[in-house]
Amino acid sequence: MNVGIQKIRVGTASCGIAAGAGAVLESLRTVARGIPMEETGCIGHCYAEPLVEVITTDGRSIFYSQVRGDEQSAEAILNLSEVGRFEVPAGRKAKELVKVMALAGRINPVSYEDYVAHDGYVALRRALSMRPEEVVAEVKLSGLRGRGGGGFPTGNKWGFLAAKQADQKILICNADEGDPGAFMDRSLMESVPHQMLEGMLIAAHATGATRLFIYCRAEYPMAIRHLRIAIEQIYEHKLNVIDGRELEIIIKEGAGAFVCGEETALIHSLEGKRGMPRFRPPFPTDSGWKGYPTMINNVETFGNIPLILREGGEKFASVGTAGSKGTKLFALAGDLKYPGLVEVPMGITLAEIVFDIGGADPNEVKAVQTGGPSGGCIPVEKFDTPVDYDSLRSLGAIMGSGGMIVIGRKRCMVETARYFLDFTHRESCGKCTFCRVGTKRMFETLCRITEGKGQLSDLDFLEDLGKKVRAGSLCGLGQTAPNPVLATLRYFRNEYLEHVEQHRCRALSCSALVDVKLDQSRCIKCKLCIKGCPVGAISDDFVVDNSLCTRCNSCIEVCPKKAIGRVEKGEGSTR
Amino acid sequence: MNKIEFTLDGKPVSAAPGQTILEVAAANGIFIPTLCREQRISKSTSCFVCVVRDRKTGRFLPSCSSCPAPGQDVDASSEEVQDMRRTALNLLLSEHTGDCEAPCTMACPAHASVEEYVRAGKNGDFLESLKIIKERIPLPMSIGRVCPRFCEKDCRRNVYGKPVAINDFKRLAADLYYDEYLETLPPETGRRVAIVGGGPAGLATAYFLRRNGVAATIFEAMPQAGGMLRYGIPAYRLPKAILDRELAHFDRLGVRFEYNRRLGENLSLDELKRDFDAVAITVGCWQASGMRCEGEELATQGIDFLRAVALAGNKGANPGKVVVIGGGNTAMDCVRTAVRLGSPDVNCFYRRTEAEMPAEKIEIHEAREEGVQFHFLVAPVSLRRDGDHLVLSCRRMELGEPDASGRRKPVPVPGSDFEVVADTVIAAIGQTTLAPAGLETDRRGNLRIAAGASRVADGVYAAGDCVSGAATVVEAVAAARVMTLEIISGFNGEEYRPEPQVNVSRGHWQSLKKENLVFLRTDVSEADREKQEFIPLEERRTTFHEVCHTMTPEQIRREGTRCIECSCTAKGDCKLRQHAERCGASPDAIPGEKLPVVYDTRHPVIIQDRGKCIKCGICVKVCSEVVNLSLLSPKRRGFFTYVGTAFDRGFPESCAECGECINACPVGALDWRLKK
Repeated sequence: MNVGIQKIRVGTASCGIAAGAGAVLESLRTVARGIPMEETGCIGHCYAEPLVEVITTDGRSIFYSQVRGDEQSAEAILNLSEVGRFEVPAGRKAKELVKVMALAGRINPVSYEDYVAHDGYVALRRALSMRPEEVVAEVKLSGLRGRGGGGFPTGNKWGFLAAKQADQKILICNADEGDPGAFMDRSLMESVPHQMLEGMLIAAHATGATRLFIYCRAEYPMAIRHLRIAIEQIYEHKLNVIDGRELEIIIKEGAGAFVCGEETALIHSLEGKRGMPRFRPPFPTDSGWKGYPTMINNVETFGNIPLILREGGEKFASVGTAGSKGTKLFALAGDLKYPGLVEVPMGITLAEIVFDIGGADPNEVKAVQTGGPSGGCIPVEKFDTPVDYDSLRSLGAIMGSGGMIVIGRKRCMVETARYFLDFTHRESCGKCTFCRVGTKRMFETLCRITEGKGQLSDLDFLEDLGKKVRAGSLCGLGQTAPNPVLATLRYFRNEYLEHVEQHRCRALSCSALVDVKLDQSRCIKCKLCIKGCPVGAISDDFVVDNSLCTRCNSCIEVCPKKAIGRVEKGEGSTR
Repeated sequence: MNKIEFTLDGKPVSAAPGQTILEVAAANGIFIPTLCREQRISKSTSCFVCVVRDRKTGRFLPSCSSCPAPGQDVDASSEEVQDMRRTALNLLLSEHTGDCEAPCTMACPAHASVEEYVRAGKNGDFLESLKIIKERIPLPMSIGRVCPRFCEKDCRRNVYGKPVAINDFKRLAADLYYDEYLETLPPETGRRVAIVGGGPAGLATAYFLRRNGVAATIFEAMPQAGGMLRYGIPAYRLPKAILDRELAHFDRLGVRFEYNRRLGENLSLDELKRDFDAVAITVGCWQASGMRCEGEELATQGIDFLRAVALAGNKGANPGKVVVIGGGNTAMDCVRTAVRLGSPDVNCFYRRTEAEMPAEKIEIHEAREEGVQFHFLVAPVSLRRDGDHLVLSCRRMELGEPDASGRRKPVPVPGSDFEVVADTVIAAIGQTTLAPAGLETDRRGNLRIAAGASRVADGVYAAGDCVSGAATVVEAVAAARVMTLEIISGFNGEEYRPEPQVNVSRGHWQSLKKENLVFLRTDVSEADREKQEFIPLEERRTTFHEVCHTMTPEQIRREGTRCIECSCTAKGDCKLRQHAERCGASPDAIPGEKLPVVYDTRHPVIIQDRGKCIKCGICVKVCSEVVNLSLLSPKRRGFFTYVGTAFDRGFPESCAECGECINACPVGALDWRLKK
């Protein structure tokens, strides 16, 4: 029965666990006695989780997707069933360029030996054989820019810290990935924790850093667990002894404030203070943690470093555009077929990511939101734009850390902007007037518009205040918080106008601006809707009374015949 | 160290290394407002009221934290920068909760410092009380008796029970000390102003002018000064001996009076313009409005009736059966005067209902006590003489749709006509201005303001009833003060600018409950409002004696303990308010959710009000960096950020009560519990 199977890998990163990989692993263990079972990280195909990879004795790799955690499913896999096999979609296969995430899902994240067996710490050894300034030069040559969103040239930053004379120099890895829907850093930390740590150790050699921090949000327990194991292994193998200095790598868990992703707020948090940004200059490389020169890089940035040192800066720079080199990780989400984590070369177009890789229907997409709540939405007409730092900025969006949310035709852009402002106005640290109160007022105005109580003057108000919030805030949070509003006003002004002038939401999303209607011709009179309605708005003869209906969608969701739906205001009945 | 040369508002300036743009601006006489900068602590950079703009990059910079770069071109004053600052202040005001001024002061047309004079009265310092009153109200004896008490209608005590008897504080303080107290007057500047009309507006103008060193001459058409105070308001409300005492003060101020001088008869505007530096027209509203019905000439005009009685020394023939038409205060004065002249049957006809009557409720109540009959929803149709009597034809009305004034418009009921026989019919419909020749009037017949707040022509200003239409004494006094300031601006060659008044309010008392009120004092009395003592009803009906007595000092002291003292402790030195007034910001500019009122009065001497906090962070840093205690810290995030103590338990015993945080707080979020 079991002949032909060398080992089985189950993806048990957070995404896999959430999809039920724990039960899958359990059932496989029960059924497949004796077969080596390996837990591994994430290959980025979220829609296909839980994923099981079977390595056959002849070296083939067979993937099974959406595996159920029961014994029949386990049996089927052990029988190498033809059913349920998983193939990477052709579009993604063609367009993706996996470099940083190459080991994710291929190795055991907590196995030092596994990492080393896949060229782990080769880069560190090479770096240590070079003089620090040569390493900095190599990073500069690679053209790598900060992957956390700012896009500052990494080599320059390293150069600043390396040039500092101080009895202590601090290196911080920013792992406070806070954008809703973004999980690039988590995936990398969970799946290949050593890669990022190797990058940090290389940076410590290049810059002379004496103390290494990882600031990771506490919501990432698995990432933290894997990092802790990896750090122990590093200590065990004395890899933390750089240029004769024995370095401590300290993990600091963030308490959940979005603003702590901002470097000065992060430093305050590390110092044990409230995470609030401060005015720059001085920049952290001049005065950072406790006044020492401090350099902060993002997880993905450090994740790129071993590649650069292994293949050389020049080769690294062969991928990408003139201003943006290498590959970029994106967390694809929203209205598309294949949500997940993808790695693409810089310069790929939005259309390639959204349609070819994400499998979204070009007729159903109207925009994509990049950069999370601080980003901006880009309309489908601009999808031929190459994805790099500068092109996205010119469209009023940002690269951000890599969140990419596809917005379908059935989404309301005003509501989308409102949603993001809801997040940012709560996450402002409360320091700058424009950010603390301005985003709140923008949010309130957007609420009014989605409730059909907006006025034409609200649009000018939003635009004016948005620009002022951008100009009058100390840190990236406030400076970018108005982006979703300003970008939707720029590209989807007609939707705003429809809301305020016609009290109409074309996407039928804003509850105050729609009716609910039951199509009698499709109704099978099962009464599920009547039973499910919390306010008794559906009559015995199956008519929805819109004066009672709260637009909770219960009936729409419960109807087996899709006979109930939202219609434009006035088209439904009112008793 | 090398100086850094850069440009500030187009002017080459230099900065020492480490000096901020804000500091350089201050050194060069360029004003930049800031709320969050405190010299003794590290930079907060939070308010963004101090923004300036880098002309080359177009970027806004917080000047409190930005050090200039060599060659930088900084714009600290353009409209663009001002707009940014104004928006920052508007945003801060939009979340700010509290009452800057107490609602009584805001309701008072003259914006008298009510809370302060009530507190002085509570403490028994009636002279101090009078001094405060007279800053805004030069006729406290009269106003203390006749004011319709705008202040009391907005008093926060209305939330539970009756308002504080505010006007009675004025009356007592004035009765006790008016004769002896004289303000310190500045030397005269040599400027002279002619005032036409010696009523409340004219008298107040003379008073405010003199307090600004300007001499005034009042030209009065009647044989005595006082205007409506003397010839309109009956003696039972304002005894003329009281008025004489009040006017005697104006002689001590050096105000000159010329009586029996009427514009257009024995006085000309050109003459005044020639002889004086400015002319103030305060002639009031002495023209009665017609009833617009047939035979109306047979009716007596209300103000003529009152004036005749006053001129005759509160005497007159028994008017017999009286019908007064109208529902305002003049109508009430007429019916109550008719009662006192011996009329056995006094009736008031009003075309709407009691609820719509413009007269003060207390006046209606007192008239009723004195035996006046009220007839509502009745309008005159015609008036004719029949032998010794007058016959008034009336029509019944019903209330229809609201009109422009918001009151429901009376509509005739068809076939409801009826007749009433009377000896005297008095029309008290309303009054308009008898405009002096050569001055323009508006649609309603009042003087038209050509520019500013009170200018009607070059060098000629006007205020009071002749501009506003018939109103109250306190409104005339308030308008006179504004006119005086405008006249003085004119003397100084300046454009008159209305005094900015930024005021944040917790809202009308009707929107509040007792638990929303803030009690800084723990000894606010729960007792009922002190009552005025009235003379016997029979005496009221038969004499012109003043109907009620001044409250006693004991009563006023007790009444003072009922005042909640709801204004902000920091109203005198609030930087947010000062900058908002200077930059033209307003609490109404940006609507939105306000912060909840969370007043922490647990500490015996320190109060903390989160709703007023602007999150500048100064107190947090002062406590940690200057006092070295770190008792305060910011909490929560976003709009709901606040500054609090550890676990919100209030200031611990380790608090030195040093007051550093209070002194540094730019607003009233942290303050001493006691008001001065």
